Amino acid sequence: MAKVLMKGNEAIAEAALRAGAEGYFCYPITPQTEVAEYLSKRMPEVGGVFLQGESELAVANMLFGAASTGKRIFTTSSSPGISLMQEAISYMAGAELPAVIINIMRGGPGLGGILPAQSDYFQAVKGGGHGDYRVLVLAPSTVQEAVDLTMLSFHLADKYRNPVMLIGDGMIGQMMEAVEFPDDYQEPELPSSSEWAATGAEGREARIIKSLFLDPTGLEDNSWKLDRKYRQMIKEEVRSEKYKISKTNKVLIVAYGTMARICQTAIDELEEEGISVGLFRPISLFPFPEQEIFKEATKANIKSVLTIEMSTGQMVEDVQKVVQGKKPVEFYGRTGGIVPTPDEVKEQVRGIVSKKKTSGKSRKKT
Amino acid sequence: MLVSPPVKKSNLPIFTRRILIIVGGYGSGKSEVAVNLSRHLVETSGRQVAIADLDIVNPYFRSREANQALEALGIRCINPSGGEFYADLPIILPEIKGAIEHNDELLVLDVGGDDVGARVLSSLGKSFQKDSYEMMLVLNRNRPFTSNVSGCIRMIREIEEASRLKFTGIISNTHLLDDTDAETIASGYELAKEVSNKTGLPIKFLAGLAAIVESDEFADPDVPVLPLERHLLKPWESAD
Repeated sequence: MAKVLMKGNEAIAEAALRAGAEGYFCYPITPQTEVAEYLSKRMPEVGGVFLQGESELAVANMLFGAASTGKRIFTTSSSPGISLMQEAISYMAGAELPAVIINIMRGGPGLGGILPAQSDYFQAVKGGGHGDYRVLVLAPSTVQEAVDLTMLSFHLADKYRNPVMLIGDGMIGQMMEAVEFPDDYQEPELPSSSEWAATGAEGREARIIKSLFLDPTGLEDNSWKLDRKYRQMIKEEVRSEKYKISKTNKVLIVAYGTMARICQTAIDELEEEGISVGLFRPISLFPFPEQEIFKEATKANIKSVLTIEMSTGQMVEDVQKVVQGKKPVEFYGRTGGIVPTPDEVKEQVRGIVSKKKTSGKSRKKT
Repeated sequence: MLVSPPVKKSNLPIFTRRILIIVGGYGSGKSEVAVNLSRHLVETSGRQVAIADLDIVNPYFRSREANQALEALGIRCINPSGGEFYADLPIILPEIKGAIEHNDELLVLDVGGDDVGARVLSSLGKSFQKDSYEMMLVLNRNRPFTSNVSGCIRMIREIEEASRLKFTGIISNTHLLDDTDAETIASGYELAKEVSNKTGLPIKFLAGLAAIVESDEFADPDVPVLPLERHLLKPWESAD
């Protein structure tokens, strides 16, 4: 198919349809409302369900119910709306239901603002709801990657019968880029949902899809069963990308999403100054690319690791954990909707390179 | 990040009407066209030029982001101030109504996308005097809902209904951002001509990246050309 120009939000919507999504439940919130707007036109064309609920709470519980049918279903929202959905996400994980939840992040806490941020990392990766559960988290950095990862999210949700969350900062949702959709989308075969889905019990035993286990051994068994799936994700679903990583690197930047693209520009410009920097970009945030980051960060040529986020410092805690104190881990962040410029990134790197010894303490914008 | 590269000479006619309303689908390039058109007007008309950002539906990449560069050229920018600058709330400044009704400066109105964005014009409808404005559809063939004649005509109808104003012309602005080449622009112009034939709306001008429309490989169309310099950039892009 030829390239078309699409806003990230529209591209995500179209990608979901191409991946076979048959139900979409939503409540509008900036900066992701174009997903709903687009699907309000397109969903009827493909015979799917488009439903705008009365709140994000309603939407998340519609998702829970619709997921029980085994159909591919999803929702999109932005930070405050995603907070409201956490209860149902925990229920879906507990009841082993596949669903795709997309968070086009804006600045928080609270109502915050409508400009791009990456301050929902903890919420997405550490579990925003209650209980022993995880969601698989993917973070695109281009509109094309948002398309590819949205399609993949539906596959992974079905593969693990677990919610998958795609997080992009507002820039990913709002910017326009040329994208291409695959002509004939193929995915690896999966077991059929007919084994577990609620499809009408005529002629068979009724199936009860629930997350309630009053018997403690039953609840413990379920939690360990879920945990085995999360171990399998850690083994099979780690995704990442490297940019200009080489033996000459003095600094290793770890950044994801839009922030990684800004770092790429900074890295190209620093190269012209004779400062060699590599970028490690996690694509899956859970599972986090722990071994890969450890390997790159602890190489002899690396003086310091620099984590850059559009937050006051969230992913940096995982980077610190992975690096295990073997190298200093510095941090630079902007938040509230302010996006660091390539110049700010360059200044941070120059600071590290020019110092005899790096502190390993977080450096924040003052 | 904004820069002011030298503006290349364009062969646009000076508009005889005072108010130029720029509307179109999301992502058709309205804001970039509005910004470049304002620059062109200030440099060729000898008159005071104002630009008003009426985009109340889209929170990012609006013409107001180019304020600094435009004000440096002497263009008056009419936008909300303070926190509202960043909002996607239906804020219509009284200044806009004033500029439509009373001023004798040239006024470029950069309107939000689709019929939803154009609805804002209906609230200003009574302020527009007959024959005082041009309302031009920015057309980008590479956007999903305006990729063919029937899609474009639907968009024209929907915008006219929502805005309660009538179109007076078309701006051919087909592009694919960084993936644009001469062929992209030419194929969009073909569609614009078909839409023009079907609707009777004239193509007022063609807009395209300066680097392409000023190159030898680009065959001059039979309408005026506005070479575009990009002002609304992503945070990792630079204008050069």
